[in-house]
Amino acid sequence: MESSVAEQQRILSSDWGGGKSPFGTSWSKFMMWIFIISDALTFAAFLITYGFMRGISPAWPKQTEVFNMVLITFMTFMLISSSAVMAMAVAAARAKQPKLAVQFLALTILGGLIFLGCQAYEWTNLIEEGARLTHNPWGVPQFSAAFFVITGFHGFHVFSGVTILAIVALRAAMGKYSADGVENAGLYWHFVDVVWVFVFAFFYLL
Amino acid sequence: MADQHDQHDHPITYKTYFITWVWLLVLTALALGLGYTNIDERLKAFLLVCTTLAKILVIAAVFMHLRYERINLILITFAPLVLAVILFSFTFPETLGNATHVLRVR
Repeated sequence: MESSVAEQQRILSSDWGGGKSPFGTSWSKFMMWIFIISDALTFAAFLITYGFMRGISPAWPKQTEVFNMVLITFMTFMLISSSAVMAMAVAAARAKQPKLAVQFLALTILGGLIFLGCQAYEWTNLIEEGARLTHNPWGVPQFSAAFFVITGFHGFHVFSGVTILAIVALRAAMGKYSADGVENAGLYWHFVDVVWVFVFAFFYLL
Repeated sequence: MADQHDQHDHPITYKTYFITWVWLLVLTALALGLGYTNIDERLKAFLLVCTTLAKILVIAAVFMHLRYERINLILITFAPLVLAVILFSFTFPETLGNATHVLRVR
């Protein structure tokens, strides 16, 4: 009996015995990374399709004439700032300061809500100007199709992120607090920020 | 548990996050400036790709703590970027003038 326990210990501690975590993270964090990677592929496909549609279009509307760039820049600022505050929330959670973590989380949620508000305002303006998924006043139908699909998917990610962060903040406030949980939610939030960095550069600036 | 161990080994201070935030804003301003400059479209695209990659590397390394993770976790996060480059290089040439089946409006 003893020898089989020793054998099991030996197998578990060997490199491929299953007793080690090959990626050096908790399973929940690793699953979050796998999710982020698959979600990144979705957005990569969207942005590449947009690049293709833009490439085959004989013309493309000038973004500065269609969008309110001050608003877009402000939205970018809000998302980057909320990402920075989110990182601080994770640090506070790790330092076992739940009150501070909840405060940082609340600021992150506020940043996300302001971003969503700006996006709702931007969509309303464009829809009032006549932009639809299939046509728009600027001549290239693919332009508004790409706009609504890409920013819509991203906006829904922000909305999901705000919901997840609200749940995490609520749980932290109730004392059901786990630093790993805050960090995993944070990873998702930073990913949403990363996607926006791409959208901002390739859809609005290029 | 392993990640907790890693975090304790490398506690990132609030100051580091603040400095990272400032750098991200600087890079955003740079990208915005690029968007408004009148230079060759291809050069502009290249420079925008550079600033964007710099930004995502900073976010991933500091905010997402990737610099403190194991190399195999870091490597798998590059998968979407590599696959995106492949998808782009297989699709975008079709939009150039010499492609045989470019969509044409008749």
